[in-house]
Amino acid sequence: MVARLLATLVWLVISVLVLSSGSALAADPIRVAVLGPMGFLQGEHHWRGAQIARDEINDAGGVDLGGERRPIELIQIETNEMLSVSDATTAAERAITRNRADFLVGGFRSEAVLAMQDVAMDYQKIFLGVGAAHGELGERVQEDYDTYKYWFRVSPTKSADLGRQLFAVLASVAEQIRTELGRDDVKVALLAERAVWADPLVQAAEHNLPNMGMEVVGTWRPSAVATDVTAELSAINRAGADIIFTMLSGPVGIVVGRQSGEMELAAVPFGINVEAQKAGFWQATDGKANYLATLDTYSPVEVTEYTIPFVESFIERFGEPPAYTAATYDAIRVLAQSIEATGTLDADTLVDYMEETTFRGTAGNLKFDERHDPTWGPGFVTGLAVQWQDGEKVAFWPNGWQGVSYEGMRPFRFPTAMRED
Amino acid sequence: MLQDIFFTGLINSGIYALLALGFSLIFGVARIVNISHTAFYMVAAYMVYVLGHMLGLPFWLAILVAVLAVTALGVLAYKLVIEPIREHDTAVLIGTIALAAIFQELMIIFFGGHYLSIPALVSGYTEVAGVRITNQRLLTLAIVGVTLIGIWLLLTRSRLGLAIRVTAGDREVANLMGMNVGGIAMWTMGISVGLAAIAGVMVAPLFVVDPLMWLDPLIIVLAIVVLGGLGSLKGSVIGALIIGYVETMTVFLVPAGSFLKAAVALSIMVLVLAIRPEGLFGVAFEEER
Amino acid sequence: MVVRTMRRGWTLLRTEVLVLPSRIVVLVFAVGLLVLPLFTTDPYLLRILIMASIFATFAASWDFLAGYSGQVNFGHALFFGTAAYSSALINVNLGISPLLSIPIGALLAGVVGVLVGVLCLRLRGPYLSLTTLVLPIIVVSVFFAIPDITGGELGIRRVETITRDRVANYYIAVCMMLVLCFFLWKLGNSRFGLILHAIREDQVAVRAAGLNTSRYKIMAFGISAVVAGLVGGFYGHFVRSVGPAVLAVQLSFEAVIFGIVGGIVSIVGPVAAVFILYPLTELLADFPAFQEFRLLAFALIVLLVLLFMPRGFVPWVRDRIEQVCPSCKNRNTRGRKRCRVCQTDLSD
Repeated sequence: MVARLLATLVWLVISVLVLSSGSALAADPIRVAVLGPMGFLQGEHHWRGAQIARDEINDAGGVDLGGERRPIELIQIETNEMLSVSDATTAAERAITRNRADFLVGGFRSEAVLAMQDVAMDYQKIFLGVGAAHGELGERVQEDYDTYKYWFRVSPTKSADLGRQLFAVLASVAEQIRTELGRDDVKVALLAERAVWADPLVQAAEHNLPNMGMEVVGTWRPSAVATDVTAELSAINRAGADIIFTMLSGPVGIVVGRQSGEMELAAVPFGINVEAQKAGFWQATDGKANYLATLDTYSPVEVTEYTIPFVESFIERFGEPPAYTAATYDAIRVLAQSIEATGTLDADTLVDYMEETTFRGTAGNLKFDERHDPTWGPGFVTGLAVQWQDGEKVAFWPNGWQGVSYEGMRPFRFPTAMRED
Repeated sequence: MLQDIFFTGLINSGIYALLALGFSLIFGVARIVNISHTAFYMVAAYMVYVLGHMLGLPFWLAILVAVLAVTALGVLAYKLVIEPIREHDTAVLIGTIALAAIFQELMIIFFGGHYLSIPALVSGYTEVAGVRITNQRLLTLAIVGVTLIGIWLLLTRSRLGLAIRVTAGDREVANLMGMNVGGIAMWTMGISVGLAAIAGVMVAPLFVVDPLMWLDPLIIVLAIVVLGGLGSLKGSVIGALIIGYVETMTVFLVPAGSFLKAAVALSIMVLVLAIRPEGLFGVAFEEER
Repeated sequence: MVVRTMRRGWTLLRTEVLVLPSRIVVLVFAVGLLVLPLFTTDPYLLRILIMASIFATFAASWDFLAGYSGQVNFGHALFFGTAAYSSALINVNLGISPLLSIPIGALLAGVVGVLVGVLCLRLRGPYLSLTTLVLPIIVVSVFFAIPDITGGELGIRRVETITRDRVANYYIAVCMMLVLCFFLWKLGNSRFGLILHAIREDQVAVRAAGLNTSRYKIMAFGISAVVAGLVGGFYGHFVRSVGPAVLAVQLSFEAVIFGIVGGIVSIVGPVAAVFILYPLTELLADFPAFQEFRLLAFALIVLLVLLFMPRGFVPWVRDRIEQVCPSCKNRNTRGRKRCRVCQTDLSD
C-alpha cells in the first residue's frame, strides 16, 4: 500500500516535470485557461464554446501578434466550484503559476468567481467572466479600479439589467393575458429561491408589479436545492395566480417545472429558470414542463450574424445547443481581436483597448461599461426570452420591444388549463 | 388552507416514512448506522433511468430489476465493506460515508452532473377536498401503507421476523442461544436496502435524479430516526409524521420562509433530544454501552 | 545561560525524540516544513501546504474531541465555520485587525463548543454524532435568512489578509499547526488526557472515582472548538472570503475521514493523513484525465485503509517500526533488546 502510494507519487512528479518541460519547448502559444466545474453542464459548455473559438482561430492561422502568428492553447481547469470555494481559488492559482496561463475565462458560481477574481487580480491577469451574475463582481471594478480593472464580464448581463428585461417581458405576457384570455386583473405569484441575487428582484417585483397593473398574490422562497415544491405550488394554486414569476438558478427549477406540469396548474411560469435554459430540461422534467418560460441567451434566432453559425456548429459538433456559459466563445474572440489590434499581450494595454471597443458577439454588440459589465439595451445585448413548447425551446421575445426584433421569433402560448378556467 | 396542510403533510410524511423505515430496521437489528442508505436509493433511481430510458425496457420491468439488483448490491456491500468493520461504530459510519461517496462519484463519471428524470408510474392528479395531489404521490402513500403492513407481518408472523426481533432485542443473548446473528444482519440489510430501492423508484419520479440527490433525504432520514428513536419502527413513522407536518406547516404559514423548512424540522429534532436523549421511542442507552 | 538552555535542549532531543523512529519522522517533517521556503517559494506549492496545515490542525482538533474523549462529533465544521464567520465579520464591519479578530472568533467558537458540549452531555453514540451533524445545517439556514449580515450564499467578501506575502502566510499556517498540534498532543498525554481516555472507556468508573465527568467532556469540546476556530479564522483571512462552505457537511465529514484514515487518538494521525492525501489529490488535478477520479480515489483509499488498517495509517506504520514494552508501556524501536526506560528484556 505504502510502496504503491510512493510509486504513484514519484511517477506523478516525473510526469509533471516531463509535461511542463515539453510544453515549454513547443512554439509559444497564447495560453487561455478555461475555468469551470467540468463535471457539470456549465463547465462542459465553457469548455465546448472555448474549443470552437480556438479551432476557428487556429484554423485561420492563429492570432496575429505584431506580425507573428500565434496559436491559441486552451488549458482545462477543473475548479470543483460546485462543492468548494477554496478548491476554486487553488485551481485559479494553479492555472496562473503552474500552467502559466496568459488569460483566464469562465467561472460559474458567484461566490467562487468572487474568490477567483481576487487571485487573478493578484497576478494582474485578465479574467473574462462567463457565467457568474452577481453585481459585486463589476462593482469592485468601479470602486477599486486599479486592482480590479483586469476583470471583464462577457455574460450574463448584470442583475439590475436582468430585472429590467424581466419586467419588459412580464409586461408583454400580461398584455397577452388581457387580450387573449380576456382577464383584466392579472395575478402574479413570486416564486424565488432563497439566494442573494434574487433578493433585489423580489423587492423590485413587489414594488413594480402593482404599478404595472398586476396584483402580487404572495411571495414564496424555497431553497435553491429543494427537491419538492408541491406545498408551495398548492398554495400558489389556491391564491389563483395567472403567472408564476420564477427566480430560480438551482435544481429547484426542474422541480418547479415538473410538479407544476403534473398538477396542471392554471398558471404559466415565467422568469429566470437557469435549468430551463438547458437542452436537457425537457427530459429532466419528464416532458411535464410544457409552456414554462425563462430568459435565455442562445436560440437559433438571428441576434447578430454570428449567432446562427455559432449555434449550428455547436449543435453539429456536440449534439445539443449551447448554454449561456458557452459564451467563452465570445470571450476568446474578444481576446484575439484585442491582441491583434494592439499587437501585445500586455494586460494594461489590452484593458484600455477592451474598454474603448464595441465587439460584435453572438449575443449582440458587446460594449463594456464602467463596471466592465456588458451594456444592456437596444443596439447592445438584449437577451432573449424562450418558452418550452412541446419539447422545443422557442424564442418569443424581443418581438417588437423598443423596435427590436430578431429573425425566427415565435408567439408565446398559454397552457390548456389556463384557457379553460 | 387547513386541508392543504393536512393532505400535503400526510403525503410528505408517507414519503419520509418509506425512506426512514429501512434505515431504522438495520440499526435496530445490527446497530449499523448506514449513511449510504439513501445512496442506494439514488442507485435505484439511476438504474431505472438506464434500464427504462436508455435501454428501452418497459418501466414496470425496469423498476422490478432495479429493486432486485440494488438489494443484491446492498447485500454485497454488507459482505465486503460493513461486516469486516461492524464492531467499530465509527468505522461503520465512515465506511458507509465512503461507500456513498463512491456511488456519487461513479454516477458523476458515468452520467455527469446532469439532472435527469425517471417517469412516474401513473400521471395526472386527483383533487381531494380541493387539494391537488398527483397520482404518483397517492400511489406512494399506498405503497407506504402496504410496506408498513408487510413489514409488520414479516416481523410478527415469520421465523425470520422472530429472529430479527430477538436479535434487535438482545444481540448477545441471541448469539448465545445459537442464532446466526451475522446471517440475520445480512438478511436485514437486504430488506433495508430493498426498502431504500423501492423508495428510489417511487419517490425519485417526484423529484430530480442527480448525483447529489442522496444528501438532502439523508439528513431528513437521520433527523426522523433520531427523533423517533433509533431502531424503533414505530418511532420512525411518528418521526416522519412530525417532520413532514412541520415542514409543510412552515411552507404554508411562512411562505417567504419556506427555505427554512428543513432547519425548522431539524431544530425540533434537537429540541426533542435535549429533553429525551434517546428519542421518542428509542431504548435508553445504559451507561455501559 | 544560553549554553545551558542549549545543552538542556540537546538532552531533551536525545532522550525524548531521537530514541524513537516515529518521533524522528515527526521532527524531520516539522523541520522540513520550516526550511522549505529556503529552497522554493512557488506560490502554488505554498498554497497547497497552507491549506494542508489548516485542514491538518482542524482534523487534529477533531481527533482530540472524538478520539480522546470518545464524543464522535459529526459536525466539527460548526466550530471552524463559527470562527471563520465571526472573525471575518468583526474584521469587515469593525475594521479590527485579523490578528485580533482571529482570537476573538476562536473564543466565540469555544463558547459554541461549550454550549454544544452541554447539549451533548446526555446524548450517546450515534445520537451524539447525528445531532452534532445537523447543528451546522441549522446555522447555515439561519445565515441564509439574514443575508444583510452574513451575505447569504455569497458569504462575506473582502476579508482582510494578515499579510499578502505568501511566504509569511506559509509560516503563520505552519507554525500554527505545529504549536497547536503539539499542544493537543501534550494535553492528550497529560493527566487531563488520561481522564478523557478513561471517560471514553468507562464513564461510570470515572464518575465512581469521584471525578466530574461532565466538566471534562465539556472542556474537551471547548478546547477542541478553540483550536478548530483558530485555523478556521485564519482560513477566512487567507482565502479572503467566508461562505456557507465553511459550515458544510462535507467539511465535517473531511475531519472525520482524515481522522480515521490517519488513526485516531494520536493527533499525528490526522495530520499525516491530510499531508499525504491533500497534496496527492492536488497532484492528480494536474492531469485532466484524473480530475474526474479525484474524489473516487479518495473514497477508495478511505475504504481500503478501513478494511486493511482498521486503526488507521499512522498506528499501522508505527506498529511495524516500534513496539510497546510489556512492563512499563513505553514505546521502543522494534528490534531493541532491552526497554529504553525500564531495561526489561524485549528480545522475545
